[in-house]
Amino acid sequence: MLLIHCPYCDEARAEIEFAYAGEAHIARPPDPAALSDEDWTHYLFIRSNPRGRHHERWRHIHGCGRFFNAVRETVSDKFEVTYKAGEPRR
Amino acid sequence: MSEALARTDPVSGLAFAGQGVTLSLAGPMARFSLRTRQPEALEQLLGIELPRKIGTSHDGAACLGPDEWLLRAPAGTTLAMGTGLPLAITEVSERSVCLIAEGARAAEVLAAGCPLDLDRFAVGRATRTVFETVEIVLLRTGDMRFEVEVWRSFAPWLSMALESAARPLR
Ligand SMILES: [Zn+2]
Repeated sequence: MLLIHCPYCDEARAEIEFAYAGEAHIARPPDPAALSDEDWTHYLFIRSNPRGRHHERWRHIHGCGRFFNAVRETVSDKFEVTYKAGEPRR
Repeated sequence: MSEALARTDPVSGLAFAGQGVTLSLAGPMARFSLRTRQPEALEQLLGIELPRKIGTSHDGAACLGPDEWLLRAPAGTTLAMGTGLPLAITEVSERSVCLIAEGARAAEVLAAGCPLDLDRFAVGRATRTVFETVEIVLLRTGDMRFEVEVWRSFAPWLSMALESAARPLR
């Protein structure tokens, strides 16, 4: 069973309590109307999909309910660190 | 008018007794979902002390998240609604029922479907979690006593699942 440390509950909890929510630190463009179709497509659909360290959002949906960020190694599936939403990228 | 409506329970009062564990249904109670980023305002309004650490409970109030508490009180309890204050109080008394697992094997029976480390889940702790795929709020109210808050429509299945875990294999 994979354990994930929730930075709000400050506890390692079973993966079944969590939901994955895509790549982290993707900011919505402040002025969408100013973007070209190509840039907008990039914002909406294009993700880094690295082999290695991946910054991603998770939600402790069957726990405290909070979204938070995690760095996960996509090869080994090991979680390097988790931190609260709004904190700088690790 | 509503007082005249018969209240029915989704599961029977006593599901199982024996083999070191008793599974039963708690009586009716009042439940409130409390949401605020300013717990001091809630405490002042309700005259209670709210636990600040997520996953703990105090005086019937369980801290489920950074801005969320579940308050359980005797049936019929009413609360001030705090109109105008930066908080939300929602009565959810009939949203869930409470199943009680009690006895030396209570933790073992819950561990059949709950991923928490119950050995380290001390008395007084309370958290939202799952039993198999059903969301529950689990409270440890005694060394050998757990209370499971579950939404009404999931209660018959959960009661059956707990009973299956409690029964010895034949
Ligand atoms: Zn959490």
